[in-house]
Amino acid sequence: MPTQASSSQVRAAPRRRREPWLDWMVLPTLVIMAVVVGYPIVYTVVLSVEDYNLLDFTPADYIGAANYAKLAGDPIFWASLVNTAIYTFGSVGLSALLGLALALLTENLGGARFRAIRALLLTPWAVPFVVVAFLFRYMYLQNGGIINAVLLSAGIIDAPIPWLNSAVIALPAVMIANIWAMTPFFFLLLSAALSAIPNEVLESARVDRAGTWGMIWHIKLPFLRNPLLISSLLMVISNFNDFAKIWAMTQGGPGYSTSTLVVYVYRLAFERFEFGYASAVGVIWLIMLMVFAWIYMRALRMENR
Amino acid sequence: MTPIAHSPNSRWPALANIARWVAIGLALLWSLAPIYWMLSTSFKTELEATRLDPTLWPEAPTIANYSGLAGTSLPFVSFFINTVVSCLLTAVVCVVIATPAAYALSRARFRLAGTVGYTILAFRMLPMVVVLAPLYLLLLNVQLLDSSTGLVVGFTTFGLPFAVWMMKSFVDAVPIEVEEAARVDGYPRWQVLLKVVVPLIMPGILTTATFVFMEAWNNLIYPLTFITTMEKQTLPAALVLTFTGQFKTDWGGMMAAATITTLPLMIAFFAVQRSMVRGLTSGAVAGA
Repeated sequence: MPTQASSSQVRAAPRRRREPWLDWMVLPTLVIMAVVVGYPIVYTVVLSVEDYNLLDFTPADYIGAANYAKLAGDPIFWASLVNTAIYTFGSVGLSALLGLALALLTENLGGARFRAIRALLLTPWAVPFVVVAFLFRYMYLQNGGIINAVLLSAGIIDAPIPWLNSAVIALPAVMIANIWAMTPFFFLLLSAALSAIPNEVLESARVDRAGTWGMIWHIKLPFLRNPLLISSLLMVISNFNDFAKIWAMTQGGPGYSTSTLVVYVYRLAFERFEFGYASAVGVIWLIMLMVFAWIYMRALRMENR
Repeated sequence: MTPIAHSPNSRWPALANIARWVAIGLALLWSLAPIYWMLSTSFKTELEATRLDPTLWPEAPTIANYSGLAGTSLPFVSFFINTVVSCLLTAVVCVVIATPAAYALSRARFRLAGTVGYTILAFRMLPMVVVLAPLYLLLLNVQLLDSSTGLVVGFTTFGLPFAVWMMKSFVDAVPIEVEEAARVDGYPRWQVLLKVVVPLIMPGILTTATFVFMEAWNNLIYPLTFITTMEKQTLPAALVLTFTGQFKTDWGGMMAAATITTLPLMIAFFAVQRSMVRGLTSGAVAGA
């Protein structure tokens, strides 16, 4: 057993000598991760330089950077990349704003009333992604969908909008469903962050007669900056990976208008069985995500300091 | 947006207060209306569900959509059982394996602690779709394709790293002094973990397990790719697979199935909602 000296600094020197490289307690996790994640990543890189097709029974050949060259000139890849960026940053940005507004709105509601309101506002979080997708798909129906029916009867529109069937509107429509599902996350985290602001800070601002807006802008938002940044990055990463909502709503269509990289890789690999090419897209994808993960971890370390 | 009072006793102008409650009302409407719509539709007949002038309340409420789920040619009961089993199994496996790892990382006395910790965190952020094709081939080779076990393996790729990090934050919150008495008595470390730490972090373990369960329940891409027999499919994937036909317009039945899919997640979510705030704020946001 390693030293148990947590409080005594006297043992610092001998401890260093006895400090093992690895702890057996993390080994099960590491072994499993190595098999189910580490090995597949290495395999992806290998596949990405081969012309591997699952339906092709001849052994895969090494084709060097050919997949990557193909990717550079693939308009669907670039369209998917742009869609992914719009989908991710648009949804995360708007959800964060909405969540922030809700957290500020409900901030000083105390007691049972607040708990009830909070629970109700959190409900969309507990709806499975696939259900979110089908629910909105139903509400978006061009004929007989509740959204068009409401807009028509309110006189806001003259003709039903083809929400998910229009190459232009489909992506924003999917994003609205995504924002609906994601806002509670920001609401909950920002509520918690708001209540963590030390009372003395608020008191002294009050003594200085700070107005409501001044209070939000100069006192609360600076305190919320880090939680907001970190939860946004977390959601950016999870939205980059979002498959269920888009696939169940539009399958990336009409055309490729709502196709993100995840959807595109899935189609390449499991509709066309081009595992090699899909892996090349995956590797590029991986590199981009790792950049984001790196930023996230930097932000974490700053927060911990 | 409404201006916000900074203390309960500050004087709100009446108008601002009204505006605030209107905003809260709108927020509640936005959050709950779709869920109400799902429930309401699930009690409508096929005809009423697609009327051009939708009815807010079912005109002729019927439970046919629900009873239909059990009786159709589609094995909805097995979809349900498959999902519960594979998600529960994932939650248990992840938590059991992650607990010692989280403990070791929290009380780190080994040189690679930082590297190991951040490697696990990096794995958490991997795009699932990148490991999809190789994982498929891997499961194919060990003949775990089209089985619950294979699905659990897939869910573990995101569940385990998440569980380690979330649980680490709960272990971090346990003061080391608590363990010292047991350590002085010479108990081996795994017994200190089991008898002292685990009981203390039980709420955290349950919260983490619930989160893993929810993530697995939400997952669509793994069951869609790894499961090829319809009877072995999970609910989310079954919804997609049975409902992609162009001519299937039974929205009432669809919404009944959606409600059934939502229910377990809703229960799990509200069961841990309280400790979730702490788990997420310390785990995900503070990242400690």
